[in-house]
Amino acid sequence: MNAIEILFWLLSALAIISAMMVLLSKNPVHSVLWLIAVFFAISGHYILLNAQFLAIVNIIVYAGAIMVLFLFVIMLMNLNKESEPKRNFWRILIGIISGGSLLMILVSLIRQATEINNKNALMESGNIGLIKTLGKLLFSDYVVPFEISSVLFLSAMVGAVVIGKKE
Amino acid sequence: MLNDFLILMKQELVITVIIFILLFIKVGSKDWKNEALLKLINILLLLNVVFSFIGNQEGVLFNEMFKTNNLISFEKGILSLGIFIISLSSYSWLQNHKHVAEFYMLLLSTLLGMFLMISSGNLLLFYIGLEMSTIPLAAVVNFNLDKKQSSEAAFKLIISSAFSSGLLLFGISLVYGATGTLLFSELPQTLTGTPIQLLAFILLFAGFAFKISVVPFHLWTADVYEGAPVAVTSYLSVISKGAVLFVFVSVLYGAFKPLATTWYNMLFILSIATIIVGNLFAIRQNNLKRFLAFSSIAQVGFILIGISGSSQAGTASVIYFILIYVFSNLAAFAVISFISAVTGKETIADYKALYTTNPFLSWVITIALFSLAGVPPTAGFFGKYFLLMAGTGIAGSKGLIIWIIIAALNLIISFYYYLRVVKAIFMDANETPIEKLSIPFLPKIAMIICVAGIVLTGLFSFIYEYIFSLSSGF
Repeated sequence: MNAIEILFWLLSALAIISAMMVLLSKNPVHSVLWLIAVFFAISGHYILLNAQFLAIVNIIVYAGAIMVLFLFVIMLMNLNKESEPKRNFWRILIGIISGGSLLMILVSLIRQATEINNKNALMESGNIGLIKTLGKLLFSDYVVPFEISSVLFLSAMVGAVVIGKKE
Repeated sequence: MLNDFLILMKQELVITVIIFILLFIKVGSKDWKNEALLKLINILLLLNVVFSFIGNQEGVLFNEMFKTNNLISFEKGILSLGIFIISLSSYSWLQNHKHVAEFYMLLLSTLLGMFLMISSGNLLLFYIGLEMSTIPLAAVVNFNLDKKQSSEAAFKLIISSAFSSGLLLFGISLVYGATGTLLFSELPQTLTGTPIQLLAFILLFAGFAFKISVVPFHLWTADVYEGAPVAVTSYLSVISKGAVLFVFVSVLYGAFKPLATTWYNMLFILSIATIIVGNLFAIRQNNLKRFLAFSSIAQVGFILIGISGSSQAGTASVIYFILIYVFSNLAAFAVISFISAVTGKETIADYKALYTTNPFLSWVITIALFSLAGVPPTAGFFGKYFLLMAGTGIAGSKGLIIWIIIAALNLIISFYYYLRVVKAIFMDANETPIEKLSIPFLPKIAMIICVAGIVLTGLFSFIYEYIFSLSSGF
C-alpha cells in the first residue's frame, strides 16, 4: 500500500463519517460544521486526482462562502427543540421505504455497471483538472455557455435588486 | 463565419438587443412614463415576432453547441408570438406598476434562455438555457411586491426548480460518466441501455417532468400559479411549459431514441396519472387561476400521449397543439388578467352573470374554454384529435388502445369543469355582477388575436400540414 492509497482510504472514511454526522447530529450548527469536513475530504480527493483547480474552488466556494451563508441562516432562524416539527410514524415509514429502494437501486446499479467496473481513476497522472487545460477548454469549446451565463447573472442581479429595493 | 453567426442566431440576438435597450432605458437619466415605455416595448416585441418568422436558415454553430433548423425557428416564433400576446394583455396591470422595464428584462431573459435551450446541441448549453428560463422567472413571480402570497409563490418556485435542477444535473453527470459525451448528436450511438444509463435517463426525465408539471412532480404548480400575478401565471403555464415540451420532444426522439421502450412505458404511466389527477383536482377549484393550473396539468397529460407516438405525426401534433394552447390559454388569461387588474376578482363565483354586463369578455373566455375542452368548431378539438391519433400509431406498430380510451373518457370529465365556468357566466343569476368595464385598446387587440387564432388554426388545414412538413425527420 503506497501513500496515495492510504490517503485515499483515509479521506474516504473521513468523508463518509462526516456525512453521517451531518444527518445524525441534533444541533443544526454542528451539522453545518460536519458538512465543511465533508467538503474538505472531497477536496482532498480532487487533489489526489490531480485536479487542483477544482479542489481550491470547492474549498473557497463551498466550504468558504456557501457554508458561511448556511451558518448565518441557521443562526438567524433560531432553531431549537420546541420549534422542531413532530415526527409522524407514517412519514418516517415512507421515508425509510423510498430511501431504501433508492439505495437498493444504486447498489445494484454499481454492481452491474460495466462502464465503471475494472477501470482505474488516473491518480496523479491525469491532467484534465489542471487550470491550463480547463482554461483552454473554457475559452474554446465551451465559450458559448460561459458567455451566456453572464446574461443569466445580469438577470439574476436585476431580479434581486427589484425584490430587495425599499420603496 | 460572422455572417453565419448573425443569421443563424438572429432570433437570440434580437432578444438580447431588446434586453439591452431596456437596460439602458432603466439606467439612463431620462424618466420614462409607463405608457410611453409600454408602447415602445410592445412595438419592439411586435418587430421581434415579425423577425422570428421570416428569413430563417438552417445550420450548426460553435462545434454543434448551437443548432437551428426550420422547425426550431418555427417553435421560437410561437414563443415570441406568445410573449407578445401576454405583453398586450397585461397592459392594465403594468400601467400602474413601478418596475415595467425590469419586468420585461426578466421576462425576455427567460425567453432568451428558452431559445438557447431549444437550439442547444449539447447538454451543457441546454442546462444553462433551462436555468436561465427559470431563475429570472422566480423574480417575476414576486412582482406583486406588496402581496405576501406572491413572495411565497416565488419561494416555492425557486426551491422546487432548484430541486429539479439537482435531479437533472445528477442525470447529466451520470450520462457523461457513462457515455463520455454531452453532444445530442453523439448520444444515440453510445447509449445501449445499461443500468447506469437507465438511471441517468430517469433522473433527466424527472427533471423535465418537474418543469412541465407531470403528476408526481406537480405539487408546486397550483400554489405558484395562484400566487403569481396573472400575466406571469399565463407566461408560466403557456410559454415556459411549451418551451420545455419542445425540447422534451426533440431530446426523446433524438438523443434518447435507443431507450424508446423505457420512455414509452414511463409516458404511459405518467400521462394517465397526470390526466386523472389534473382533471379530478380541477373539478374542485373555485379560484380561476388554480382552476387553469390544474387544467394545464391535464392538458400536459394529453400532450404526453402525442409524444408517445414517436413519429413525424407525433412531433407535428405536439407542436400544433402547443400553438393552439398558446391561443386558447392566453385568451382565457387575457380576460382573467384584465378583470383581476381592474376589479381584483378571481373566483368563479365572481364571474356569475358576467354576460349581462360584459358580453365581449364573456364570449372571449367562452370560446377559449370551448377550445381548451375540445368542442369541435374550435381549434382545440383538432389539436386533441391529432394528439390522440399520433398516440394510436407508434412508428410501425399500434399504440396501447386502452391508453387512448382512458384519455377519451377523461375528455368527458374535462367538459364538466370547463363548461361549469361557462354556465356561471351565462346562466347563473347574480345580484351584483362585475360592473361594465371598458377595455383598453391593447388588451382588446390581444383578445381578438387569440380568438382569431383559435378559430383559424382549426379551420385552415394548411397550418397543420405546414408543421407536419417541417417536422419531417424528427
